[in-house]
Amino acid sequence: MIWSIAWRNVWRNKVRSIIMIVAIALGLVAGVFSIAFMQGAVDARIESATRSEISHIQIHAPHFSENNETGLYITQAKELSEKIENLNDLEAASYRLIAEPFIMAAHGTGGGKMLGIVPEKEKRVSNISQKLVEGTYLEKDGRMPPVLIGEKLATKLKLKVGSKVNVQMVDMSGDLSSKGYRVCGIFKTVNTSFDETNLFVLYDDLQKQLAMPDDVAHEIAMICANADDLETVKSKVQQLAGNNDVQIWKELNPEMSILTESMDEYMYIFILIILLGLCFGIINTMLMAVLERTKEIGMLMAVGMNKRRIFSMIMLESVMLTLSGGVIGVFLGTLITKYFETAPIDVSAFSEGMEKYGYASQIYTSLPSEMLVTITILVIITGMVSAIYPARKALKLNPAEATRTE
Amino acid sequence: MKIIQIKNLHKIYNSDSVSVHAVNGVDLSFEEGEFTAIVGPSGSGKTTLLNIVGGLDEATEGSVEVDGVKINELSARKLTDFRMKNIGFVFQAYNLVPVLTAKENVEFIMHLQGANKNDREARTTELLKAVGLGEMMNRRPSKLSGGQQQRVAVARALASKPKFVLADEPTANLDSHSTENLLDIMELLNKEENITFIFSTHDQRVVHKARRVITIEDGKIISDEVK
Ligand SMILES: Nc1ncnc2c1ncn2[C@@H]1O[C@H](COP(=O)(O)OP(=O)(O)OP(=O)(O)O)[C@@H](O)[C@H]1O
Ligand SMILES: [Mg+2]
Repeated sequence: MIWSIAWRNVWRNKVRSIIMIVAIALGLVAGVFSIAFMQGAVDARIESATRSEISHIQIHAPHFSENNETGLYITQAKELSEKIENLNDLEAASYRLIAEPFIMAAHGTGGGKMLGIVPEKEKRVSNISQKLVEGTYLEKDGRMPPVLIGEKLATKLKLKVGSKVNVQMVDMSGDLSSKGYRVCGIFKTVNTSFDETNLFVLYDDLQKQLAMPDDVAHEIAMICANADDLETVKSKVQQLAGNNDVQIWKELNPEMSILTESMDEYMYIFILIILLGLCFGIINTMLMAVLERTKEIGMLMAVGMNKRRIFSMIMLESVMLTLSGGVIGVFLGTLITKYFETAPIDVSAFSEGMEKYGYASQIYTSLPSEMLVTITILVIITGMVSAIYPARKALKLNPAEATRTE
Repeated sequence: MKIIQIKNLHKIYNSDSVSVHAVNGVDLSFEEGEFTAIVGPSGSGKTTLLNIVGGLDEATEGSVEVDGVKINELSARKLTDFRMKNIGFVFQAYNLVPVLTAKENVEFIMHLQGANKNDREARTTELLKAVGLGEMMNRRPSKLSGGQQQRVAVARALASKPKFVLADEPTANLDSHSTENLLDIMELLNKEENITFIFSTHDQRVVHKARRVITIEDGKIISDEVK
């Protein structure tokens, strides 16, 4: 019965309650949407990092990662990558050669990272082949070896499909080697700095230019069936990889793992700030509700409602009020978020800077459902916390209050 | 049988520099089944006396014993509980919870006492019929006249089967027709159910109905007559 009294009390002053409910709802719509937006941006970043840039797990020869030394390579790379591919948890593995070339084109020069890949294998590990804006994925056309470059580099060096570039690097024996390549295609990921610095050529072409022995690789990259349990897969891969280094993407790119891990904290802080603001409004509303009912509360105390019950009644009123706004807010927020899960928000107007850091300019919102549960619980807690002061005021009232008419 | 025993009761209000001796050495006792009016001019201490007897206010000195229990010695929690089980209250105004219907207002007390739903329903209906509101049980207080609201308050006061009912100027806000009607109902309940009523009033018509009239002035009893 206290529940029904509390609920009806919420609606005693309709205008006041509705204003508060609308305020709470709007605050939470903004909160839910912002969270979904941030999460969407981070998800896209991770997706790009794992599918286009890093993959899930990589193997390198010991110390290779320190400064990409050509002489530190994995031997029997084909056999190893086939063994790895046969693991149950694995989808695909691809072996790569890596060089740090100097690129000369008609309209400028540049540097970066050149990856020598086997297209059929690489296609299954990275999705660069699906990110082509022009040309082909390393299809040989004529005598010159093909090179696939990013759109950013193409713009910078004014390169088009068919343009020639001269690539220089230091080979295995320490000699300078120079070779001409023809641009066969241009790709574009969401990460412009990746597009500027990464070039893809055929494994065989790079092997020749670097004068590497047969069947070696600088890197084996792989994609797992289930991205949530990479640690277990990592240990299985490590058994096959001998003394080579095996690292998952979070280890390869520590800033990104910090980003994903601190994301949750940011979201909670964000929501807490919104709720803190709302808290003052609720305190005010509840205080008014108590102070205009001093006689009635005195009467309830006189006829036998004890302090605990009075306290719970005020508490319930506050929680009901807050939760009404909370439920509406979370519901509307989810609705809006659901819409933008399929229709991306174009932030290209502001994303010039964002893309440099690897953030997509089209963001699909993404809302972790456990977040909704957490928000709802936080809303209830806010209602309770906000009720403490008004409820204490109510408890200070005197039952004799009811008998004094003026 | 004595149900209330008041001994040497004093109440002094200290506000700022003035101190008011609102109840000044009252000795009184009430029997079961009484129908008693406490009269006296405004400010004579009627409300203060009733509040202390009902355990709503603390005495400065003296003791109040209800059914053998010294209520001025109970803890706040026990006192609330004691009031709920033993004393019915009818105030001049603000008697009812505006968001509850007449029926729910009466039921609520029994709910606090932990009575089960069937008992509550039966007794509420019976009481509201007894005060002549059988037809208006589902109205909220705002849809009832002042007199009808006071009758709901009487029904509510009786819901917990109290030892006695204290009513502080229950008719002060009522017109003469409603006043008479309310008094008739209280009188009937007193005669037929042997319910003890102690009420304060200014109103001579109400005083006439009482079987015992206690007159109080400046916090002292100046007469106590049984008709
Ligand atoms: N809370 C209080 N603080 C200070 N003085 C008070 C308080 N309550 C009552 N008094 C004083 O005590 C005296 C008795 O008041 P009380 O309300 O008991 O009189 P009453 O007989 O009920 O009067 P009325 O007929 O106007 O209701 C008055 O002088 C009043 O001013
Ligand atoms: Mg009075």
